[in-house]
Amino acid sequence: MASIAVTSAPARTRTATSLRQWIGLLYVLPAVAFVVVFFVVPLGMTAWMSLNNWPLMGEHSFVGLDNYVAILRDTRFWNALKFTFYYTVVVTIAIFAVAFPLAIFIERPRPLTNLYRTAFFMPAVVGFASASLLWSWLLNVDSGLFSPAAYDLGLTAKKVNLLATFQPAFWSIIAMVVWKVAGFTMIILMTGLQSIPQDLQEAAVIDGAGPFARFRAITLPLMRRTLALALILSVAGSILAFDQFYIILRGGPRNQTLTAVYWIFNQSFVSFKLGYGAALSMVLLVILVALSLIQLWLLRKPEGLD
Amino acid sequence: MKTMLAKLMLAASVIGGGLQAAAAETANIWVRADGSNFMPRIVDAFNKAHRDQIKLDIIPNAEIIPKYGAAAAGGTAPDALSLDLIYTPSFAAAGQLEDITDWAKSLPYFSSLSPAHVKTGTYKDRIYGLPFSADASVLIWNKKLFKQAGLDPEKGPTNWAEIEADAEKVNALGGDIKGFYFSGNCGGCNIFTFTPLIWASGGDILSEDGSKATLDSPQLRGAIDLYRSMVKKGLVPEGAQTDTGANFFAAFAGGKIGLSPSGAFAIGALNTQYPDVDYGITFLPGKDGGWSSFAGGDNFVVTKGTKKIAVVKEFLDFAYSLEGQTILAKYGSLPVRNDIAKDALKDLDPRYQVAAEAMAKGRTPYSVVFNDLINSANGPWTQMINEVFFGDDVDGAIKNAQETMQSIIDQAPNK
Repeated sequence: MASIAVTSAPARTRTATSLRQWIGLLYVLPAVAFVVVFFVVPLGMTAWMSLNNWPLMGEHSFVGLDNYVAILRDTRFWNALKFTFYYTVVVTIAIFAVAFPLAIFIERPRPLTNLYRTAFFMPAVVGFASASLLWSWLLNVDSGLFSPAAYDLGLTAKKVNLLATFQPAFWSIIAMVVWKVAGFTMIILMTGLQSIPQDLQEAAVIDGAGPFARFRAITLPLMRRTLALALILSVAGSILAFDQFYIILRGGPRNQTLTAVYWIFNQSFVSFKLGYGAALSMVLLVILVALSLIQLWLLRKPEGLD
Repeated sequence: MKTMLAKLMLAASVIGGGLQAAAAETANIWVRADGSNFMPRIVDAFNKAHRDQIKLDIIPNAEIIPKYGAAAAGGTAPDALSLDLIYTPSFAAAGQLEDITDWAKSLPYFSSLSPAHVKTGTYKDRIYGLPFSADASVLIWNKKLFKQAGLDPEKGPTNWAEIEADAEKVNALGGDIKGFYFSGNCGGCNIFTFTPLIWASGGDILSEDGSKATLDSPQLRGAIDLYRSMVKKGLVPEGAQTDTGANFFAAFAGGKIGLSPSGAFAIGALNTQYPDVDYGITFLPGKDGGWSSFAGGDNFVVTKGTKKIAVVKEFLDFAYSLEGQTILAKYGSLPVRNDIAKDALKDLDPRYQVAAEAMAKGRTPYSVVFNDLINSANGPWTQMINEVFFGDDVDGAIKNAQETMQSIIDQAPNK
C-alpha cells in the first residue's frame, strides 16, 4: 500500500505530510499557547521594560541601554553575583557529597529501603519559604534549638548567635539547603544508578576491578546524563537562590549574603526601579543560559559511546 | 410572566429611588495594617454621622506601596490613603498626589497640626499630605525591675550616663534579666529610637532638606559609644544583634528588660496585651540632658485627579474634630492637632501626655529616598548601625555609610 502511494502520487504524499504536520501543530498548540502567554510574552515585556526608566509610580520613559550601562557600574550587583557564584559552588558540592552516598545506599533493595528513601526525600516536599521559616526558628539564639541546646549541654560558655557573623550564618544556610535539597538530588541520581546494567558491573568484577575502579570506569560515565540533569537543576536553583537568604538572614550579616536575585528584588520592590530590575533580570538570564550550555557541553555524550 | 415583569419594574424603581435618595458619594481609602486598630473606628463613626460614605481597605504594611503603585498604574488607585509620612516626599515627587495647599491653609487649625507631618507633607513649597495618625519615640522602663535593683521606680534616666548606670544596675539582677534592649539589625527601629539621642545632643544624620548625609559627627559617635559600651558589658541580649524588628516591642513586653527605647504605641499595646508589666515613660535624652523624639505616623494624601475630593476633605475634617481626635487617641494613635491634644487625651492613661509632648516637638528626617537610605533592610543605615554597635571597625562603617548614603541621594531621580 505504502509503496503504491509513494510511486503513484508524490504530490499527495507531500500534502499528507504537511497535513500531518499541521495536525501535529494542532496537538502542541495548547502547550505552545501556554509557553507564549506565560513565558514569551512576559520575557518580551521584561526586555522592553529594561529599556525604560520605569518607576513604580509616575510616567516611564525610554532610555535605551542606560540601564545596562548602569549595571556595569553597579558594584553591589557584581558583589552579589560573586557571592551567588561562591554559594552555588559550595552548595552544589555539598549537595552532591551528601546525595551521592545516599543514592548508592538506597539504590539496591535491602531491609527498610523504602523507609530510608521516604525519610531522605521528605524535606524536598517542603516549600523553600516554609523550610526557611522553620530553620529561622531552629537557628534563633534565644528561643531556637541549636544555640540553646549547645549552651544547655555545656558545649558553649554562652548562647552563640549563629546568624550574627558570616561564617556560621553562611554554613547554617548551606546545612539547611542540603537538608532540603539532597533528597531530591538523591532520587535523580538513584534512577541513574538503577539504569546501569547489572551485567556490566558483574563483568568488571570478574575482570578483577575494585569498587573504586568500577565507580570511576562504569558508574560515572554511564551516569553522564543523569549527572548533567542533577547538576543543571542544582546550579540553576542555586543561582536563583533568594528565599532562604531573605527569610533567615535578610541579606545579613551586614549585607554579606545578598544574592543576585535578592539584589534584583531590592531594586525592583524596595527602590521601585522596575526598569533597572528588569535589566538586571535579563543579565542574570543570559548568565544562567550560558552556564547551562557550558554544563551540557561538558557532560555531552562522548564520541563512540552509545 | 406578567408578575415577574412587575416585580422587575418594582425592583428597578426601588433601585432608582434608592440612587436618587442617596446622591451621597462613597470614597475609597487605604490604610496600612498599623492603622487597623483606629482606622475602622473612625471610618465607622464618620459613616454613621454623614451621608457621604468612606469605604476602607486595610493593606499589609509591606505591600501598601507596591500595591498602590500598581493600582495607580492601572487607574484603580483609592481616592486617598493614609501613608507612612516618610514616603510623602517621594510620592509627591512622582507626581502621584493632589496638591491640597489651598485647602490645608484654609483650615482654621492649620498652624496646630503636627509640624513634623506638615514638613514631610510639603514638596517644593506645596502641601501634598496632612497629618493623620502619629507615633512618637520615647524611652520606657520597667518599674518592677528598677525597684528590685534598688533604683527609684518613678524616675527614668535623663541623660546617657544615667541610661547606662540604670541598665547596669538592672542587669546585675542576673538570670534572664537584661538591662537594655534595641533591635540591632533594624534600620526603621533605630531611625525612630536612636537618632533622637543624636538630635537631643545637637547632631543630625541628614541636612535639613535631605540633600546631604551628615553622619560624620561627634554626636553620632557619642551615641554609638553609649550603645557599644552597653553591648560590651553584656547588658543587651544576644538576640539583639540579629533582630530585624520582630522583637522591637516584644522584648520589653516580656518583662525581663530594664530599659528600652520604644514608641507611644507601646502604651496602648502594653496596657491591653500585657497589663502585668508596670512601666514608666520618659523622653529620649541627649548626652547631657535635654531630649528629642522622632515624630512618626501617617500622612493623609489624596490621589491626583480623584473625583471624590469633597468626600475626602469632609472625612479629614471629621478626623480633625475633637471627636475624631479622641477616637484616634483611644485606639492607639496620638492626636495630631496640638491645640486639642490635651482634651482628646484627658480620659486616657496619663503616660500619653509625655508621648504627646514628645510628638509636638518631634522631628522627622526629610528625604525623597528615605526608604533606600534608612528603612531598607539592606540599605546603608541598617548596615551601619549593625556594624557600629557590634562590629570592630566603627570609623570605617561610618565612612562607608556616609559615602553610600550620599551617592544614593545624588542619584535620586527627583531631588
